[in-house]
Amino acid sequence: MNEAAPRPKENMGEPLPRIDGRLKVTGQAPYPADIPVNNLAHAVLVTSEIARGRITALHLDKARAVPGVIEIFTSESLHGDLEKPKFGPASTSIGPLHDTKIWHDGQIMALVIAETIEAAREAAMRVTADYDEEKPSTGFGSEGTETVAATEASKQFKEDVKAGDFNAAFASAPVTIDAEYLMPTHHHNPIELFSTTAYWQGEDLVVHEPSQNVHGWKVEIARQLKIEPDRVRVISPYIGGAFGSKGPVTPRTALVALVARRLGRPVRCVVTRPQAFTTQTYRAETRHHIQMGATQDGKITAFRHEGWEVTSRPDPYVVGGTSTTGRMYDYGSVLTKVFLVKADRPTPSYMRSPPETPYVYALESAMDEMAVALDMDPVEFRRINDATHEPIEGKPFSSRPLMECYDEAAREFGWSRRSLQPGSMRDGDWMIGMGCATAIYPANIAPCAVRIILTDDGRARVQTASHEIGTGIRTVAAQLTAEQLGLDIGAIEVEMGDTRLPAAPVAGGSNTTASVSSAIMKACGEIREKLARAAVTAKDGPFSGQDPHSVVFREGKLVAGNASQELKDIFELLGSGVIEQYSEFRPEATSPEAVSKLYKGKMEMVSGEKGEMVKYAFGAEFVEVHIHRRTREIRVPRIVGAFAGGRIMNTRTARSQLMGGMIWGISSALHEATEFDHRSARVVNRDLQDYLVPVNADIQEVTVILVPEVDKDANPAGIKGLGELGNVGTAAAIASAVYHATGQRIRQLPIRIDSLIG
Amino acid sequence: MTGTITASAIPFLAAAADRPETARPSGSAGNAGTTVSMRLNGQPYQFSVDARTSLLDLLRDHAGLTGTKKGCDHGQCGACTVLTDGQRTLSCLSFAAMNEGREITTIEGLATAAGELHPMQQAFIDHDAFQCGYCTPGQILSGIGCVKEGRADNDADIREYMSGNLCRCAAYPNIVAAVKQARHEMEKA
Repeated sequence: MNEAAPRPKENMGEPLPRIDGRLKVTGQAPYPADIPVNNLAHAVLVTSEIARGRITALHLDKARAVPGVIEIFTSESLHGDLEKPKFGPASTSIGPLHDTKIWHDGQIMALVIAETIEAAREAAMRVTADYDEEKPSTGFGSEGTETVAATEASKQFKEDVKAGDFNAAFASAPVTIDAEYLMPTHHHNPIELFSTTAYWQGEDLVVHEPSQNVHGWKVEIARQLKIEPDRVRVISPYIGGAFGSKGPVTPRTALVALVARRLGRPVRCVVTRPQAFTTQTYRAETRHHIQMGATQDGKITAFRHEGWEVTSRPDPYVVGGTSTTGRMYDYGSVLTKVFLVKADRPTPSYMRSPPETPYVYALESAMDEMAVALDMDPVEFRRINDATHEPIEGKPFSSRPLMECYDEAAREFGWSRRSLQPGSMRDGDWMIGMGCATAIYPANIAPCAVRIILTDDGRARVQTASHEIGTGIRTVAAQLTAEQLGLDIGAIEVEMGDTRLPAAPVAGGSNTTASVSSAIMKACGEIREKLARAAVTAKDGPFSGQDPHSVVFREGKLVAGNASQELKDIFELLGSGVIEQYSEFRPEATSPEAVSKLYKGKMEMVSGEKGEMVKYAFGAEFVEVHIHRRTREIRVPRIVGAFAGGRIMNTRTARSQLMGGMIWGISSALHEATEFDHRSARVVNRDLQDYLVPVNADIQEVTVILVPEVDKDANPAGIKGLGELGNVGTAAAIASAVYHATGQRIRQLPIRIDSLIG
Repeated sequence: MTGTITASAIPFLAAAADRPETARPSGSAGNAGTTVSMRLNGQPYQFSVDARTSLLDLLRDHAGLTGTKKGCDHGQCGACTVLTDGQRTLSCLSFAAMNEGREITTIEGLATAAGELHPMQQAFIDHDAFQCGYCTPGQILSGIGCVKEGRADNDADIREYMSGNLCRCAAYPNIVAAVKQARHEMEKA
């Protein structure tokens, strides 16, 4: 046991090490760009140097002259063979080479294919373009943007939630605050480069690409290539970080497949790090306006949250976190509104903890400001406004352990040692600040199918097209199957990330553990039922005549009372050496076709806000910052988070998810931002040198507390997600700590040295 | 981070820059033709490579050692870290042809033939020092370099000297714990 393997408390699974750990530490885990392919041609993207206008000419002669170049694909090469991407399943509706119009910086203009990566790269650098350039709009504050209501622009965003009479309540509130907050553009920047490897086997296409949604991709890739979905196989067994970036199909994927078909050979395109900043998705920058009113004794009476979000011209991607912020506390009255600001930018998409990361940052920052206005401890202020029912529809929370999280984290952190007055705590030249905030994420769940193959030697193979993006779902799947069938975890193999496997939902919105586990529990239940029935109906067996439900599965045996029988003997009774159990899990609130729709690329995810009760995972994060009196250098010596996420499957992988999430929160508070040249609407810091993410030396003590929680009302398995939760609220806790240290309220992220000078 | 571009590479780079475009050897596969001999994980190899081929691309595309990862190709992320004559090196910033006669150790070369893991590999498993696992080979090689350089005496040093290796999953506290454990094991050995 060590810190990475916390002792399980009530309703928590053992901290077993990852079953793919050995593969990962020996370099044997096969990420999609590692797959060896014979006769491979290499492709390199050429991207636009302007953000708005039209390509008038592409000069390819110098590129074609590079030895080893095979072909250069441009808008003249498609010949109608590729449908435009469909926004939703695809990240954008902007086709890779569908016309010469430029919608954003770094748009795909050509694809150079060569015998070697060196030749392809050199040739790509020799392609030049002439443009008919127009003045672009970068986003907030730029001329030429178009602002539209999210509810009118997007079918996905149905409603601006509201309750009561905000205007009257705010006007009569004795204490009010009114503030704006800004979270900039973020890029996921998983360390694995984005890549597509495509080849054809007759009429069938194989795509190796890191994906968080293989069955969804199969359908959209097939649609773009005008072939049947069953002709497409997407393989993505290991994914080198995702964070949302590998959710929708990229504009490159089907194009690379088309090139492979035309050339009659495999093609691999590895996107360079700079190109990933414009050909992949990102977190939209958001601006928030919050008004809050409260009584003198700290009861909130009015809450208003308006959000503005940058998106592309053609696609209405909505972040839209007001459905969560509007339900967080017992506000009395609520008024929300979300707007999209259309600019000359690529289409944004989800990024770790959408949409809570930006929206809860704004809400929790406002909560801290109100606590200051009331001269009240921020934890006590939240306690006063804690809710048993959400204020929009008055539905109860399935469970609400928020204040337990606050109390546990506060105790561990030593919150009682904090003095209320800003700027009052020092250590030599370092100003000390302490802050806290709420973490919240809806408990989402989706349909999922699984096949479990149990053989008479007591080994099982679990097959589901879910996605191991680093969360540990392979390990959880093996651990749960072992527990359900009474086997050792070493006897379980797990196959994931392949459209040949039973369909699973997108790895997004923290639904995976709940969805996959529910499907496994169902399949294992059916296997146990078959075996137990065979055991009790055998005429002269030790269990004959007993209730099949009295039989338990333990250490490779069936056990009831003092009797036990080897698995092998039961298989003999069945007259078979193998049980292949295919099972489908469908959450109650979904349609009867929900699983077959999953195979057709459509997912019915049941959000935590749906149903008779609202279901959320909660947490509380406390952070200490040190700010140097002279240089304003900001350090985070420690951060403590306490989280309740229902049943915890494995305390090791759970802790790592939450720890990583909290460090993501530190990053959004103090490090990362995509910077733009506002004259050209182009990204300035398009690499890992200039796009800052924390390095090891930026991170010190990170403490994760797992708070026991049993919540059978969230879903039958009682499992909530954790991958998104840890990253929510952190930025607000840090901004509050910066205020506590300095008395300076910074409402624009990231908070850097220059934010604190002047 | 050590050994990103060695002094011996400088005349080579200068010569490459001076070479006129027309002097390029032609052929369907570009500039294949520079021969380089090196030892990979203890075995001798000879490659015929393009002068533009990085050590990273040689390992992945020519030697089939895909455990070494590409995260930026610009020396900014550390995912491609290997040991060159025992020194940690960013293989994306080293031309393959610069490695004549060198001994290269990659992630595939750390466990024994019998499959016993290097203490650093075992420590990464024990402390859950990875999530997606993509940066892990580079972290492990860098961790070994860090210990050998004597930069793993305390947490602050480990953090500082492991800061050339980005982990976007942010397993940093676990990586520090793993390097610390492996240091003890490596010192015992």
